[in-house]
Amino acid sequence: MAAVAKHDWADDEDLDETTTTTTQDLPPPQKIQNKDGSTTIIEYRINDNGQKVKTTRRIRLITHREVVNPRVAERKTWGKFGQSAKDVAGPAPDTTSVGENIIFKPSVNWRKDAKDESKDPNAQAMKDKLKDKKVKCRICNGEHFTARCPYKDTMAPIGDAAADAAAGTDDDTPGGGGGGAAATEGAGAAGAGKKGSYVPPALRGGAGGAGAREGDRMGGSKYGERDDLATLRVTNVSEMAEESELRDMFERFGRVTRVFLAKDRDTGLAKGFAFISFADRNDAVKACNKMDGFGFKHLILRVEFAKKAQ
Amino acid sequence: MRPILLAGHERALTQIKYNPDGDLIFSTAKDQQICVWFAHNGERLGTYHGHQGAIWTVDVDPTSTIIASGSADNTIRLWDIKTGKCLKTWDFPTAVKRVEFNEDGTKLLGVTEKRMGHLGTIVVLDIKVDVEAEQSDEKALTIVCDESKATVAGWSYCSKYIIAGHEDGSVSQYDAKTGDLLMNFPIHELNMAITDLQWSQDRTYFITASKDKTAKLITAKDLEVLKTYVSDTSLNSATITPKKDFVILGGGQAAMDVTRTSARQGKFEARFYHKIFEDEIGRVRGHFGPLNTVAADPTGKGYASGGEDGYVRVHQFDKGYFDFMYEVERERQNRLAAQQQQQQQQITA
Repeated sequence: MAAVAKHDWADDEDLDETTTTTTQDLPPPQKIQNKDGSTTIIEYRINDNGQKVKTTRRIRLITHREVVNPRVAERKTWGKFGQSAKDVAGPAPDTTSVGENIIFKPSVNWRKDAKDESKDPNAQAMKDKLKDKKVKCRICNGEHFTARCPYKDTMAPIGDAAADAAAGTDDDTPGGGGGGAAATEGAGAAGAGKKGSYVPPALRGGAGGAGAREGDRMGGSKYGERDDLATLRVTNVSEMAEESELRDMFERFGRVTRVFLAKDRDTGLAKGFAFISFADRNDAVKACNKMDGFGFKHLILRVEFAKKAQ
Repeated sequence: MRPILLAGHERALTQIKYNPDGDLIFSTAKDQQICVWFAHNGERLGTYHGHQGAIWTVDVDPTSTIIASGSADNTIRLWDIKTGKCLKTWDFPTAVKRVEFNEDGTKLLGVTEKRMGHLGTIVVLDIKVDVEAEQSDEKALTIVCDESKATVAGWSYCSKYIIAGHEDGSVSQYDAKTGDLLMNFPIHELNMAITDLQWSQDRTYFITASKDKTAKLITAKDLEVLKTYVSDTSLNSATITPKKDFVILGGGQAAMDVTRTSARQGKFEARFYHKIFEDEIGRVRGHFGPLNTVAADPTGKGYASGGEDGYVRVHQFDKGYFDFMYEVERERQNRLAAQQQQQQQQITA
């Protein structure tokens, strides 16, 4: 009984293994004919570490008939010699293998073709992306890239004039959204004014222009269509201020669409500045005039129109 | 196309030869054995053992009965292809860099190295293409290259001339019967060694590859340069493809310079040029080292290349290769076809 208790299961396993490797009672190789005409060959062998290895190969034989010279046919029956003397018929796996497929197509301008091929995955992805996008010129609204516009040198981008008009605060542009778009366009054009100078991504083109400010990035698409022209920047705000208090103060002048009070992430205290967006620019102008210099929680507020983030 | 990789050698390949029927490939490398392979599936038929040094060259006789090999152990050996038995050994004072049978297999030339006070020579041996026959010990002819040693040599049509490429970039024509120097022209750039010389099927012209980054097509009769193929790397080998009018060039940076270069920069590709228009029409990559030797299948179905990496890659061409034609070639073909049709119509009318 004691002897049995001493016997460890781990030893047991070891014993088993050694017996299999020493006796080498491997299962005989199997050949199975599959329904689809291929053959599965299962072979067992013992590798250098004494482990049993099962190799499963699936082979499909395709008979390929070729008429060859009788001399060639005779040579195919020759016995192997030298280092291949012990090899069985057919290519030996240790000396012969098949390489990866190479596409070789002679062509006069192969150099260009090769380049196209190397670019291909990227180009394809780009093509898919732009499949249902239409090209629109910023200068003449034609269906070509702005850079290719025939009026490139003679005409300014469409947005330019509108943007100039919008810059004057009193001048009402019809429709807030349209005005905003025009402003972004103007900024984009201004940024791109000097040829070859660097234009930050936020100012490039008109399409992404709405996301020009830090807050917008965080707000995502929700604030994507924000009207920057009716936004006030309020500075010298007390640390104790709350967004609701600001909203109450500014709602006296008109409908406030957004109040953003910058707060410290850790302490939760206000950082001292806020942005107030109005639905109507006229209300914003009024609020700006009235609230600039307003005393709030022992501090004098400074209110001005928000500038576009540069 | 899917190349077949033959890994029978442990060191850099030196030469590959197809037999005239295109079913066997012989390969030699700087290790000490010659391998013979079936071209259609890459199966190794056997190896030939006996050389004591790097084997530089091999050639097969026109009937595929025997092969000759030249080695750095200063011998030329003759082997029975079928059994792998060494039939004959000739000893020389220096290494043998090139052997070649003439068109009917009755003569064998060997190029010996210039070393240890010996000048480079081209020797000619009489051969009996028979496994049982006793081969003669005597050299039929010895040509001494006293100006610049020969690196490569071969037999022209009808075994009329022996053409040799030299270390200084020149090409000579010798009378194959007397061994007299008939012509010597500086074909390639001065002191850029000629690394390979391979014949067209009828042996009236040949292609040379040189370290000066060019390969040239030259006539055997008066050593006139017909075509020049310019590449961007030093060339180790060049061959003319049968069936299609192409040439294949192989080369790459010298083995000592490749350590810090990727496969792409090393230019380890087989380059295809159009034989007549001299344009590069494509490349085949795959080797991890410079290509030391390229050989075209005499049946025109494929080619094999051997690299410094020790691999032989055997390629069977796709349909695209056979279909390729220049616009002018296609037009000509169409015109000829139209003419034939007209003639037939006239006959029937």
